[in-house]
Parts: sequence; structure tokens; C-alpha cells
Amino acid sequence: MIVTNEATKIYEIGGNAVFALNRVNLRIEGNDFVAIMGPSGSGKSTLLYTVGGLLTPTKGDVTVDGISIYDLSPNRRARFRRENVGFAFQTFELIPYLTALENVMIPMYLSGVSSQEQEERARQALNRVGLEGRALHRPTELSGGEQQRVAIARAIVNDCKILLADEPTGNLDRKTGEEIMELLCQLNGEEGLTVVLVTHDPAKATHANRVLQMIDGRIVEDRTIH
Amino acid sequence: MRATTLVLKYLSRRKGRSVLSSIGLILAIGVIVATFTVARAMEIQIGDEIDKVGANIVVTPRTELIGVPYGNVVLGSTTIPESSIEKVYTIPNRGNLRALSPKLYGNIQYRNSTLLIVGIVPEKETQLKRWWNLAGSWPQNDTSQVVSGSTLASSLRLTVGSAVTIRNEVFTVVGILGETGSVDDYSLFLPLHTAQRLLNLFGKISVIDVGAICKDCPVELISQQIMDAVPNVKATPIRQAVEARVKAVEQMANFSLLLASIILVVGCAGIMNTMLGSVHERMREIGTLMSLGADNIHLWKMFVFQAVILGLVGGVIGILVGLVSAIVAGPLVIRATVSLAELVNINPYYLSIFPISIAASVLSCLVASVYPTWRASKIDPVLALRAV
Repeated sequence: MIVTNEATKIYEIGGNAVFALNRVNLRIEGNDFVAIMGPSGSGKSTLLYTVGGLLTPTKGDVTVDGISIYDLSPNRRARFRRENVGFAFQTFELIPYLTALENVMIPMYLSGVSSQEQEERARQALNRVGLEGRALHRPTELSGGEQQRVAIARAIVNDCKILLADEPTGNLDRKTGEEIMELLCQLNGEEGLTVVLVTHDPAKATHANRVLQMIDGRIVEDRTIH
Repeated sequence: MRATTLVLKYLSRRKGRSVLSSIGLILAIGVIVATFTVARAMEIQIGDEIDKVGANIVVTPRTELIGVPYGNVVLGSTTIPESSIEKVYTIPNRGNLRALSPKLYGNIQYRNSTLLIVGIVPEKETQLKRWWNLAGSWPQNDTSQVVSGSTLASSLRLTVGSAVTIRNEVFTVVGILGETGSVDDYSLFLPLHTAQRLLNLFGKISVIDVGAICKDCPVELISQQIMDAVPNVKATPIRQAVEARVKAVEQMANFSLLLASIILVVGCAGIMNTMLGSVHERMREIGTLMSLGADNIHLWKMFVFQAVILGLVGGVIGILVGLVSAIVAGPLVIRATVSLAELVNINPYYLSIFPISIAASVLSCLVASVYPTWRASKIDPVLALRAV
């Protein structure tokens, strides 16, 4: 379970304090599928990265399964991310000089898994996202949809509990975007992952169980739709 | 997947750029290796010259009376026992003694003039005086064979095969010494024991010429050791131009090392610049790795390993550049061929320059990578990913 308690993120821009997050109180149950919507600059991504342990809030705190993650040292928090959180980005962020398989192996290398086990589990993860035949291709040799599948395989390969997806379909065509959404639903439904999705697209948000609407760093609407 | 795989895959995609960025380092290592190689080759060459110059210490009796002038050294009229030779070989630095040539000088009345006779052990004397040119052969030990100096030969009209009668004993000239420009041109050389018999000085010698090879220890030290070991002798070091050349080589090597150090610092700056560039270029990648759970230790491992690889490759290329430069430029600088086989053969310590160069190269890269890696570890992953 993820809980934010008065989470606030303030940026100083031109001498003015800009609230990217303004006293956000949120509770996300395990195995939930939450979509965060809102206009640009409303704080959707800020909330996502704050929840993921990547962006320290100016005030307030974030706990995941009872652990206050910003009270951990930076290296302990890195370990927390390795073990619990997977990220999927709009621009995929695959490492260009590595193959799909090697990209998926990275989180396991960071966790100290043996090379042999890394390869075995990376192949399994690529199978789970339907990319068994593309393991040895570099990112530039893959389509956008395939690259996002590799990124999702990389996010889930360490058996994380939480998948945080920042506009994962933003760079994909409609059909491929739908396929990625189905994959996220499958991971949430069949494998029990907590999924938090940031999206502009109301159609994509309908795949979630719950939709949060944000404006100016505040959650202004919290709807359960399934 | 390991840190090494990540770094090697990254560098293999950036081969040319990595080598280009290491040019300063390659140059520095090249200069160090080339200087060291040429300096060692020059030492060998100077060593050869020491061989040609001959004796650099002259051992004479301590009592110096007015006697026969021989080069820079005034010889006493008294003698020293022939057994002094074995005593010289007991000094602590005996390993530096290359050749000892005992000699006995004497004046003998010959017709209307005085003849300077020199008793020598031919094989010892020729070891020290390699520049001597001889027409004919050297006298056999304990025989009545003699060799005449060039001026003496022409004034007495001696040729090989001529007979010379001294104190009623007939000697055969077996060789004529080429002109040397020294007192040798006026001397008559005969076997040491023959000279002792002729001068009635059995078991006595006048002087021992000592050829000592000593690049690292002063010849004065060896002289002192000889005086300590052999009673009643004076060991006089002869200063030679060669010593000045040894110093000149040392100075040149030191200057080159200073130059190499400066290049090394510049090379480090180049590596640091490349590593900073690499950190900047890989900002998103570092952000991604951090989002996946990389901590500072992972980042340090990656960049330190990258520095080690750059250092190793730069070091090896630098050594090759240095060796090729030494072999190509060496003959122009020292007018002698630089032979690596000869260098290794004569001075096995020469090989130590290779591990030292590699270590210097790797160490420089490590030092140069500290600041860029620190910068990488301070990257804000969210900013790096331009995510918000």
C-alpha cells in the first residue's frame, strides 16, 4: 500500500515558489490500477516520481508498505527502487548500445543476480511481454511498441510490486498504445502488480480502476470506475 | 550483465573517440618510454666508450719520488709487490672492476741513450687499450719477444723481425705499435716477467692500470676502497669526459621526464574532459539506471572501470608509440641503433618501464575520473530524464 501524507513539492522559478505538488494525501491499495490525469504542469509526473522514490518532496512524506521511503539513505532508497518499483517512460529510455535482452538484464545486474540467472529471467520477462523473437535486437531495430514492451519487461523483471508508467503510450500509435494498455491490465489483473499510470488520454484511463484528476498540484477528483 | 559489460559495450561503440581523447595520455607515456629507452641505449653506448678510453684509476706506490711522468700521473721510482693485484680484487665494489693491467717501468741504457721499457701482461693491457693498433703480434709471456712504440721503432729503424740487444740479451721485435700520441710511442714493451728479470725487480710492478665500470658509484669510492685494501699504494682516479657525458644523459632524461609529467597532466585534463563529456552525454542513461535502482557504488564502479580501461589502452598504445619513436628517432639523437634485445640483455631492469608506464597511465585516468564520477553520482535522475 502506498500512502502520501501532505506530500508537497515546491520549485523556485524566477524567485516565485511554484507548487508542483500541494499537500497531496493519497492512498493506493496493493493490486490497484490508478490513472492520474490532468493538464500539462498539473503535477501528474511529479506525483508519480515522488511515489516511486525518485523525487524527494519538499514537505510531507511517502510510505510504501509502512516504510517511509524518504527517511531512507539515498543508497537504501536505490535498493528500495530495485526491489519494489518498476518504471516505464514515454520515451522508453532503453540503453541504445545494448540489446533488448541486455536492457532487461540491467535491474538484475544492479541487484547482484548471477549472469546465468539474469539471462534466463530476462528471456522469461521478454516472453511475458510477447517479444521472445526480438531478444538480440538493439533498440533502434525495434518499433516503438516493441521498445515499450522491452521497457516494461525491464520494469517487471525484478518481480516488483509497483509499476509506475509515465505516458507509456504517448509516443505510440493508437493500436500499439492499446496493446500496451492491455499488457498493463494483464500485469495488474493476472500478476497482481499495483499500476500507476499517468496519461493525457481519457480512453487509456478507462483501463484503470480508479482515476485521479489533478490541477495545480492538487488532486481535485478521485473516481473509482471499476 | 556486469559493470564491465556495460562499460566495454559503451566504449566499443565509441572506440575512435576514446582513443582520440586519450591522445595526451598516449603522448605522455610515449615520451616517458622513448626517453627511458634512448637514455638506456646512450648509457650502453657510453659504457662502450669507457671500454675504449681504458683505465680510469691508476694504482701507484704511495711514496712519490721524482720519477717517470706517465700521462697525468707522476709515478714514483719505487715499486709495489705484484701480489697487490689479488688484494685489489678483495674490495667491496670488486664487481665493478673490468680489467687490471700491471706494469713495470724501467730505464735502460741502450747505445747512447736511455730506453723506456715497459713490462706488461699483453692480454691484460690490450683489454684496457682497445684503440691500440699493432702491426705484427704481441709478445708471448716469459719470452724475449718485444713490441716497439712507433716513434722508437722509426728512430731505431726497427721492423717486425728486427733484433734488439739489451744488456747482452737479444730480443726479437714481434710487433710495432701504431702511433698513439702518448708516451707509449717511445716505449719498448716486453712481457712483465721478462722485464722484471731484466730490471732485477722480481715480483715487483710499478703501476696497476684499473678499468672500472661504474655508472652509479663514483670512481673516487673505488679508488678509496683500493687504498684501504692494498697497503702502501695510492689509487688515483682519472676524470674523464665520459663522466660528463653520463651526467649530460641523466640531465636529458630528467628534463624529458619533466616534460612527460607536464604532458601527463595535460593528458589527465583531456581524460577528465572526455569523462565529463561522457557523464553529460549519458545523463539520461544515468537517470534511467538510477530509476532502475543504481546507487552511487554502481556508478563509481562503472566510471572507475571505464577509467581503468582507458588507462590500460592508452598505456599500451603509448608504450608502442614510445618504442617506435625511440627506434626511429634514437639513431638521430645518439647516432647509434637502439636495439631492444640488447637493452633487455644488458639491463633487464629496462623492462620495468612497461609496468611502470601502465601503472602511471591507469593511475592518471583514475585521478582524472574522480571529479566526473562525483558529478555523475550527484545527478538528479528526474532532471536527467527531463521527466517533470
